[in-house]
Amino acid sequence: MDMSNGGFWDKVAEILHLKDVPFMGVPDYMFSIEYWLGAIAASALAWQAITGLILLLYYQPSDAYDSTMAIIHNVPFGSILLSSHLYGAYIMILAVYIHGLEVFFRGAYKRPRGAQWVLGVLLFAMTLGAAFVGYSLTGDVLSADAVNVGRGILTALGLSSAIPILFGNGTQLDLFTRLLGWHIIIAAALILFFALHFYLAEQNGFMPDLKESNYRAPALLSRSDSRLKPWWPRNFIFMLAIVLLTWGIILLIPSVLAIPQVLSRVPILLSPYPGPSPTSPEASSVPAYPPWFFLFMYKMADMPFGLAMDTVMGMFIPLIILLLVPALDRSDALHPLDRPWITALFITGLTWVIELSVWSAIQPGVPVKMQWFAITIIPPVVISFGGIYAIRRVWFKVKGELSGSRNRGAGFRLSKGAALSLGYLTSILAIIAIVVSFFLNPIMDGPYVGVMWGTALISFAASLLAYFYVEYIQW
Amino acid sequence: MSGGNVNESRRNFLKAMVTIAGLSVLAGMLRGLEVLVPPEVSISGFPRLLLVDENGNPIKASSIPINGKQIALFPYPLDNEPNMLLALGDSSGSPVEVPPTTVIIPQNNVSYDFPGGVGPSKNIVAYSAICQHLGCTFPELTFYPPGVKAITANGPMDKVIHCSCHGSTYDPYRGGAVVTGPTVRPLPAVVLEWDSSTDELYAVKMIGPVIYGHPGYSSPTSQLVKNPTGDLTGGSPISGTSTIVKYYSNPAS
Ligand code: FES
Repeated sequence: MDMSNGGFWDKVAEILHLKDVPFMGVPDYMFSIEYWLGAIAASALAWQAITGLILLLYYQPSDAYDSTMAIIHNVPFGSILLSSHLYGAYIMILAVYIHGLEVFFRGAYKRPRGAQWVLGVLLFAMTLGAAFVGYSLTGDVLSADAVNVGRGILTALGLSSAIPILFGNGTQLDLFTRLLGWHIIIAAALILFFALHFYLAEQNGFMPDLKESNYRAPALLSRSDSRLKPWWPRNFIFMLAIVLLTWGIILLIPSVLAIPQVLSRVPILLSPYPGPSPTSPEASSVPAYPPWFFLFMYKMADMPFGLAMDTVMGMFIPLIILLLVPALDRSDALHPLDRPWITALFITGLTWVIELSVWSAIQPGVPVKMQWFAITIIPPVVISFGGIYAIRRVWFKVKGELSGSRNRGAGFRLSKGAALSLGYLTSILAIIAIVVSFFLNPIMDGPYVGVMWGTALISFAASLLAYFYVEYIQW
Repeated sequence: MSGGNVNESRRNFLKAMVTIAGLSVLAGMLRGLEVLVPPEVSISGFPRLLLVDENGNPIKASSIPINGKQIALFPYPLDNEPNMLLALGDSSGSPVEVPPTTVIIPQNNVSYDFPGGVGPSKNIVAYSAICQHLGCTFPELTFYPPGVKAITANGPMDKVIHCSCHGSTYDPYRGGAVVTGPTVRPLPAVVLEWDSSTDELYAVKMIGPVIYGHPGYSSPTSQLVKNPTGDLTGGSPISGTSTIVKYYSNPAS
């Protein structure tokens, strides 16, 4: 299976004009995970689109909860479909967070990538929006409350006329029909915005290692750079491996959690399945919880400022600041310590999100007194700003000595021989996992099939990476 | 410019006209967004509905268990408006008469008259099972019978309706009045009628703030609290002349 010269794959490439694909190739050193965090989020998005469309064949707004449970219990591979759609969303949200943080700390929002950043923030907001609506679609005990909280927040913000638009005229059927409609509309818009985001990323090119641009914007990779190699087949293989690796993880985690012995011990926040129906006796044992990615907002709603203010502080101000980042910090300094105040602001915000989320998980729905608000909110500001400015002073002193002393990639390197054996091993593992999956029942053994598929995809991705390493990376 | 010459100012004028036309078409058609607003569903007045069990047999007031281990829920006046039916008692299980009282809304100090309990011991009351704060429903919002304490902002309390979503507490012995926030409005009450000859119960109207999430719920004017007509909009009507009471196990018992 030689992908570079002659043979089958060359034919395929020729017929499909893969060598003419206008995507940008990259230098070797960029085949490293931190350059592909956006790709991971996009892979999860693709998984969500595929599984979401299939779920559409079974989900019935007229019977939201029961049709959701029927997907788990009666549809072949249905439990995998539903739980991986949930975890696909979780992985996507995590990937979006990490991608955004990485972009921020590398200063990649600076010119010429400002518009890319703004689109990215909008994608982040839309991802959370789609997740909120999707979470309510199941019609389980927590979803009913989530929708009501949504109504309350809109009312507090003076937007009660938007309630029927979002949630329908009040009947159950209209509610779930609308939720489903909005879920799909937001997802479609997300894909459209992602296409724009991706187009800009291609046009502006990958952001090179910061040293290359001397930590100054604009950091650009020249298209005539001799290290750039054609997109096909190198980037294609690497990207395929990233996509399959992401999908493997999306399948593996919820499937492990859904194994009966494990499932009974999984806290409700991480459960791969919906909670009980609001009218079932078990409903009363379920504590009131939002999904984990809204825990911070849940705690914000306990703050002593009134709901409208809580929401503005917890959602709108952060969102506006994020959108404005490229305008607020217009310097061309890329190193985080060269733009200390915005770095400190970001670390503060991140600390707040984590703090509020943990607090909310431990003490859901306990109203917060003013002094507690101050005790949680003020120290991160002081520590972040104080810390960053202190580190910056030390850093200025040692800056000269550090620069140039480090060699890229001087660390551990896998020998080609070892990579080769790793490739054999993971290929065999992938095949074994797939063979095993055929002995399992699509309805009864859902979680185990999911574990096998997840293992197979991850192993296959690993073998692709091994092949890629052996074939295309030179040192 | 091939063909005739049109002078520059005319061309600029055309450009301006085309821009204005484009913008007006866009602005005018934005009106079409109204397509997103669904037509309202509503009923014209509060229905008088007999409370029945799942088999259609009328509920007898004297047989409702006092401080029951289970919570009885019934929809009224629309089918997405659940209410709790409670027969209140003291810690020894004997009925406690719920007297008529005036309930004050902390949000705006408007008040209304709660008619008190019904039934042979005047201890039967019914309140909306949707929290006025942010709309959590039963089982998050539930009744804590004597001896079962909820953790509230005022310390542990029993004989309250408490919501575990954000900690609002209401007093079912006093018309659903607010005991602790974050809610700023009492629970809406169902006005019940007891037919002493048959021992049957009827739901006849609502009193207090509009039920959470229905039009006007967040602005309880003195007009609205006497006749919360917002309750009649935003849900499917209940068919027939009765509403079904179902029992659920109470997380607080
Ligand atoms: S919804 Fe009941 S306290 Fe917030």
